[in-house]
Amino acid sequence: MRRRAAALALLFGLLTGRSAVGHEVRPAYLEIDQTGPATYSAIWKQPVMGDVAIHLVPHLSNGWLDRPPVDQYATGGFLIRQWKQSAAQPAPLQGATVSIDGLQDTITDVFVRIRLKNGEGVDTIVRPEAPQFRIDLKAGAPTTISAFLLLGVEHILTGPDHLLFVLGLLLIVRSRWMLLKTISAFTLAHSLTLAAATLGHIQLSTPLLNALIALSILFVAPEAVRAARGGTSLTIRYPWIVAFAFGLLHGMGFANGLSTLGLDKSALVGALALFNIGVEIGQLAFLAVVLALIRSFRLMQLQWPRPVAAMPAYAIGALGAMWTFQYGAVVLGII
Amino acid sequence: MGVRTRTILVALALAAGQPGVAQAHLMATGMGPIYDGVIHFGLSPEDYLPVIALAFFAGLRGSPTVRRLLWVLPMTWLCGAIAALAGLSVPAGPLSWTTPVMFLVIGGGLAANLEISETAAAVVAAAFGGLRGVADISGVNASLPHLASLAGMVASAVVVFAIAASLALPLKRPWMVIAMRVSGSWLAASGLLLAGWVWRYGTQIAGS
Repeated sequence: MRRRAAALALLFGLLTGRSAVGHEVRPAYLEIDQTGPATYSAIWKQPVMGDVAIHLVPHLSNGWLDRPPVDQYATGGFLIRQWKQSAAQPAPLQGATVSIDGLQDTITDVFVRIRLKNGEGVDTIVRPEAPQFRIDLKAGAPTTISAFLLLGVEHILTGPDHLLFVLGLLLIVRSRWMLLKTISAFTLAHSLTLAAATLGHIQLSTPLLNALIALSILFVAPEAVRAARGGTSLTIRYPWIVAFAFGLLHGMGFANGLSTLGLDKSALVGALALFNIGVEIGQLAFLAVVLALIRSFRLMQLQWPRPVAAMPAYAIGALGAMWTFQYGAVVLGII
Repeated sequence: MGVRTRTILVALALAAGQPGVAQAHLMATGMGPIYDGVIHFGLSPEDYLPVIALAFFAGLRGSPTVRRLLWVLPMTWLCGAIAALAGLSVPAGPLSWTTPVMFLVIGGGLAANLEISETAAAVVAAAFGGLRGVADISGVNASLPHLASLAGMVASAVVVFAIAASLALPLKRPWMVIAMRVSGSWLAASGLLLAGWVWRYGTQIAGS
């Protein structure tokens, strides 16, 4: 199985013929704070991979961000720019428009956080399909809750790596009780590392983490084929152990969406809780659809030909192998 | 089929379906083209209501009918959509009648619990699938720029059909059968309303 998956991955890589680093998925971050009665600071943090940065340029309709920054440096995979600004008028940000040049050509989001001295503020996410928004400082709080919750749901539903791993586990598990234990173990594990990584207690480089997550997918696929053939192994007997162990890695992957933002601790804890709830909602929705589909196929008395029945496991294995090669090459500096 | 052939087929299928570079994590991207298709289906009652009604109808006929329609519906939907992508165009006038007519035919069939053959049910499903495929692409060409969107839309139809049919398959109690038939009558009634609307206002409505 591993050899076949490797061959598929190589073929896949040849057919696609592009680098794994071509798509930046970490969010960028724009924060504007009122530092005094008429002074403001702005910080722009955008992800870079080595010397390569995607084209993202923040603009504020009052022109603050079009001036040269007071400081600019690269650190920990990010390019940072800072501005200081004085404003004579009383409410220079209310009604202004934030726009991000180049965002529409990416798959990255931008978190925008604005805070005034009087406690007013706004937190929102600017997305590629709508790369600008008008600042309304009165409507900040409700946006925060929905934004982070939605981000969690989107994060898992648009993350084929996590979904494929969960699907692989589903193909291995043989009873409802075992399914409950396995999914609970995965949830517990990824919640632990999501919190720890987001709060900065543990850290792993993004390419290495991606490679390890890909390896986890490659690991479950042959086990799913073995389970379908009636074989047994430690993973098939105790899938919850594997779910817990790899869940720790996947949690760190989830954390990439939040830990890199530079939110302050007080904002981060709330965001983390909402984000995690969103992830669980997305995961349960995916599980519900897959289980309902499996039940419906059983009621239809569908008899899949053996090659078709094995197709999901082979597809999971092939994708896992391909990603392992691609991210492994990034870790080793080959691409 | 040998292991090697199977492996190559899986690889080719994956390569054909791959939008570009492998993305182990399309985090918060605006969801991507597959989800565009899923959401398009979920927001189009003219798509999902007849699919659900067709699933109930097939479920009441038994599992062989469900199994057949499970293939016929997505295949014809895809064929219709691909034909539209390839340039097949149907004038807006006739196209605007597809939704009311399909609501009437499928809803009416479910309401009457028509005892028709598997083949006849497959013909109805094929007509619906093909017409929806054409209508979806003709109507939302700009929002479905990728074949991946089409795949997302058709996959949603398959999932909804399978799950809805599985609700009808184990029905034993008469009142549950009646409840499903009532849902068919509502769909047929909606079809009548839509037909009147199309008749009165022309091509501006009915989701086509």
